Amino acid sequence: MSAPTAAPAAGPVPARWPRLARPDPVALMALPAFAYLAAAYGWPLLVLLGHSLSGPDGISLAPFARFLSDPFSWRVIGNTVRSALLVTLVCLLAGYPAAIALARARGVVQALLLLSVILPLSVGVVVKAYAWQIVLRRDGVVSQALVGLGIWDAPQRLLFTETGLVIGAANVFLPFMILPIYAVIRLIDPRLSEAAATLGASPVRRFLTVTLPLTLPGIVSGVAFVFSLAVSMYVVPSLVIGDRYQTLATLTGRAFLFLRDEQLGSTTAVILLALAVAVVVGSTALARRLGGGGLS
Amino acid sequence: MPSFSPDRRSVLRGAATLGALVAAPGILRAQTRELVVGGAAGHKAWVEEIVVPAFERKHGAKVIFEGTRSLVNLEKMQKNRDRPYLSVVQMDDPVMILAIKEGLLDPLTPARVPNLAALIPGTVHMDGMWANYLQPWLGIAYNTEAMRQAPTSWADPYDPAYKGRVILPSLQNTEGLANLFVAAALATGRSLDAAQRDVEPGFRKLAALKPNLLTVYTQQPQAYNLLEQGEAWMISSAMSSYALERKAAGAPIGLAAPKEGVFAMPSGVAVVKGGPQPDLAFAYVDMLLGAELQQRLVGPTFSLPTNRAVPRPAGLPSDLVVHQIDWATVARERDGWIKRWDREMAI
Repeated sequence: MSAPTAAPAAGPVPARWPRLARPDPVALMALPAFAYLAAAYGWPLLVLLGHSLSGPDGISLAPFARFLSDPFSWRVIGNTVRSALLVTLVCLLAGYPAAIALARARGVVQALLLLSVILPLSVGVVVKAYAWQIVLRRDGVVSQALVGLGIWDAPQRLLFTETGLVIGAANVFLPFMILPIYAVIRLIDPRLSEAAATLGASPVRRFLTVTLPLTLPGIVSGVAFVFSLAVSMYVVPSLVIGDRYQTLATLTGRAFLFLRDEQLGSTTAVILLALAVAVVVGSTALARRLGGGGLS
Repeated sequence: MPSFSPDRRSVLRGAATLGALVAAPGILRAQTRELVVGGAAGHKAWVEEIVVPAFERKHGAKVIFEGTRSLVNLEKMQKNRDRPYLSVVQMDDPVMILAIKEGLLDPLTPARVPNLAALIPGTVHMDGMWANYLQPWLGIAYNTEAMRQAPTSWADPYDPAYKGRVILPSLQNTEGLANLFVAAALATGRSLDAAQRDVEPGFRKLAALKPNLLTVYTQQPQAYNLLEQGEAWMISSAMSSYALERKAAGAPIGLAAPKEGVFAMPSGVAVVKGGPQPDLAFAYVDMLLGAELQQRLVGPTFSLPTNRAVPRPAGLPSDLVVHQIDWATVARERDGWIKRWDREMAI
């Protein structure tokens, strides 16, 4: 009958704590990256959050309320989300078949295909944006081709339109869709699809019930990559569509660099971050639900 | 057996050499007076070719020109407020106003800068806090191959014939402000000077320009790229210092001075408060404002002189009206204007 100690309170804990008490040594390998991100990303993020929440009378949500009560802000948010979704969609539609082709190719052809995906990453965004300016002009290649094919009656300009922005941005971000999907497809056992074929599944059914669910993790990472890059793109919109199409990223830039309004800049930056996180987390959850049914 | 045994003489000799080495930079510094001038990177060429040699010859002092951007110069002044190392700054007028708010500038006085008296009206600002040594001017740049006739009026870009062919600078760019004043004048029939005081009608007028817009730029080189390639036919408004330089380089463009007059763009010079070598600093400013130097600068900078004694560059109409922009109002109102502009001009 000794005096009660903290022991009873610790009773239910041991079942969960020992695992943390003896960390997997492999986890230590993540330490350098973790430390770097904590210093270079985590801390500034906290400062940013602090800025966005600090009003003249201490902590308040007023800056967010003010920003979100303005119809123009919703237009900016709409531009940001719509353009990012469209870019992601175009990248997915163009990137998925490309990833399959890349995974199926062999030898020199595969090396060439891989090179053609990776090499464009070494060309600066500004250079690409300037190139699109020439391609998307009224007398540019795209316009001439569409007129030549009889799709357009007269030359039109795609430059400085939302369509032009999506085309240009999709070009910049396409590798970030192809590579994760390719990485997943490479790991899929081709016999699975063959087995489905021997059981009489049509090619469409084989794709929908075997290949697509198996590649879902790759699609999710590709979508997460491309969406988070596209939602925050700054150089491409400022050169390909210009000052008349504000997104959260360009507005954040203007707030910090020109208006010198840190409050506005941190508010828009936090909303932008929240949007990106929501889509990345949401698509992962969605994939888990869909993939869970398909895989198990 | 050779050995090292220092005698008294060699030790003394060594000490003397060492002493001289330590003292030398100080002695040299005392002999050569240095003046550090902060300015724009784009100005480096003509400052170092024309201004610096002239100044060094006359005053026997060395000039170091740090070419960056106006806002960077402001930051350098803020960060070194207690021990300024810049003596003179050449910055855009809107940034001068920010520097004055922070108390970073020393006023120019006629006693220390005699050439102030020789300047045209409207070029000395806020009781002599800074002066304009040159004025690039704003007109309408046009593609000479696409347009047979040069534009003659600020109303020309509104002509429906130019659907999708007109580029405007963003209101964020200093050269973009003119459009707001022009639009206000066109909407109300007032003069360009009076229109600056009430820009409200200007926003409505600008919205009428939207069908004609190719784009609104923040990056000047991109706009000129489009103009030179013929995708755009006009940039309204365009800076002489950029447009005429491109023209001189062989680009198929011209710069028209509309009949309503042109706007003067700011190129200000000021003395840093508490900066080193104040006498040299004021002498530098005085030289920039003087007729002799301005005469040599108007050509290479494609700008208007501010000294009355210097004639305007050739090719401009003799009765050309040059409108000054009220930078104090601009500094006060600009953020609100930009936010409004984003709304009104959005695609």
